[in-house]
Amino acid sequence: MAVEQPTKPTFADKLYDRMFHNYVWKSIFRTGYPNTPRNQMLVVATNLFLHLHPTRIHRTHVKVTHTYCLGGLSFFMFLGLTVTGILLMFYYVPSVDRAYLDIQTIQTQVQFGQLMRNMHRWMAHAMVILVFLHMMRVFYTGAYKPPREFNWVVGVILLVLTFLLSFTGYLLPWDQLAFWAITVGTNIAGSAPVLGPKSRFWLLGGFEVGPQALIRFYTLHVIGLPLLAAIFMAVHFWRIRRDGGLARPL
Amino acid sequence: MATAVVARPVARPQARARDEEVLVWPDLVFIEFIAAMVFTITIFALSFLVNAPLLDQANADVTPNPSKAPWYLLNLQELLLHMNAAMAGIIIPTVWLGLMAAFPYFDQDKEGQGAYFSTENSVRITIVAAVVGVAGTWALILWDTGKLAQFAHDWFGLSGGDQFRFLESSRSIQTQLPWPDWSRHITYLPFDLKILDGTGSSGPTTFQKLDFPAWIVEQGIPIVAMVGMPALMIFAMWRLGWVVTRRDALLALFSGFVGAYGILTMVGTGFRGQGQELVWPWQLNPTEGIPGEH
Repeated sequence: MAVEQPTKPTFADKLYDRMFHNYVWKSIFRTGYPNTPRNQMLVVATNLFLHLHPTRIHRTHVKVTHTYCLGGLSFFMFLGLTVTGILLMFYYVPSVDRAYLDIQTIQTQVQFGQLMRNMHRWMAHAMVILVFLHMMRVFYTGAYKPPREFNWVVGVILLVLTFLLSFTGYLLPWDQLAFWAITVGTNIAGSAPVLGPKSRFWLLGGFEVGPQALIRFYTLHVIGLPLLAAIFMAVHFWRIRRDGGLARPL
Repeated sequence: MATAVVARPVARPQARARDEEVLVWPDLVFIEFIAAMVFTITIFALSFLVNAPLLDQANADVTPNPSKAPWYLLNLQELLLHMNAAMAGIIIPTVWLGLMAAFPYFDQDKEGQGAYFSTENSVRITIVAAVVGVAGTWALILWDTGKLAQFAHDWFGLSGGDQFRFLESSRSIQTQLPWPDWSRHITYLPFDLKILDGTGSSGPTTFQKLDFPAWIVEQGIPIVAMVGMPALMIFAMWRLGWVVTRRDALLALFSGFVGAYGILTMVGTGFRGQGQELVWPWQLNPTEGIPGEH
């Protein structure tokens, strides 16, 4: 009776072994290839980015029609906006003399500049819509109910921050569309009882949309509001896990 | 040897049901990856096809007609056309955001969570409330712009004559009724309280005056419409037996809001042409503005 001999490793097997079973690779990825349940759980639990997730999840929650990935996609838009925004920052100077010319330069002289600007703008619109739809999804699935009350409040704050992020970015191209939209928008803010004119002056750094307004909106847009949003997002994601993951029927 | 096991009803544990769970890798991570790819490709394609708008350089002397806020604020800009600026721009959004934040503290019952429309009547409450929000908001806009009176006259030959002119729009209640003179200058505070003056420049007045007909149009009617219509709708649904729990009431309120919010945004974006006139979307005809003209 012939004894089954182990098959000789092929070239591909050897290459795979060289690439993934070496000291350097193992120092980066501690777990083995995620093809066993143990490794699949470890890969989620030991990776900084994946560990936002639990290792296991109720099977109704992986149905796309339950969440439509709306919250995750909102966050994905935020990440994409950060990347394209940083690229735009290399070329853009928030001064009344340069802002408009810089946008024109980005569109005509910079390699892929027009594409970056387009992506930044369309993702900004997409994020506003996605955040609103995400709020509707959470409401209609009753996911604001206990114990998730506070996370709903954090979500409302993030909705406002999303509007503010988009609004402050709207002025930066310094074209007629930007200028008059912000004039109309800040006039709305200025109509507030008691604090209106003060808050409008504080926002614009003057009585009209001008150089001070541009630098204020820029600073809020590229650092102030994103930091604030990141903090609230961290709380938001943390609380999803702390409050027991996605809501489930009783 | 088999032991007789008496089947007892066991309360389904609320804790984790491990056998109902799947692994995040690969089941969830795969879906997230696909969703991210779909959006990346869509955004890329859109960005290749459509350029972000860039008009002429900002010029404070050239006012485009109409001047519009970013689209997600056009709902507020639409409200501004119908009522007091502070109410439309600040008070209403602030109150509404506060109300929304308070939803979970008002409706603390755990029933109906984790699935769409899982409570009785929730589908019909949602649909009817959304329709009421859409239709009610449209009707109010058409009335306040005088279009309802215009349609009634042009299409059905209806005209109430001069004594019914005050019904043409919200503003005509102020302008077409014989208000006595004193009602336009009611002293409500015998001293000048500057902080309550919305315009910020009260001038040399000595007393706080109230223009009552203007107050009715700018604040009275809007408050009645925005508080009264949802309240009336929820009351009617309660009498019909649809709204039973607090969740039902919130479903009606939120769905009505989504309907009204959508219509306000749509009208502000697509139906407001030069001079913020109510027109069809193909008649918007915006101009870049004439230098020196505001």
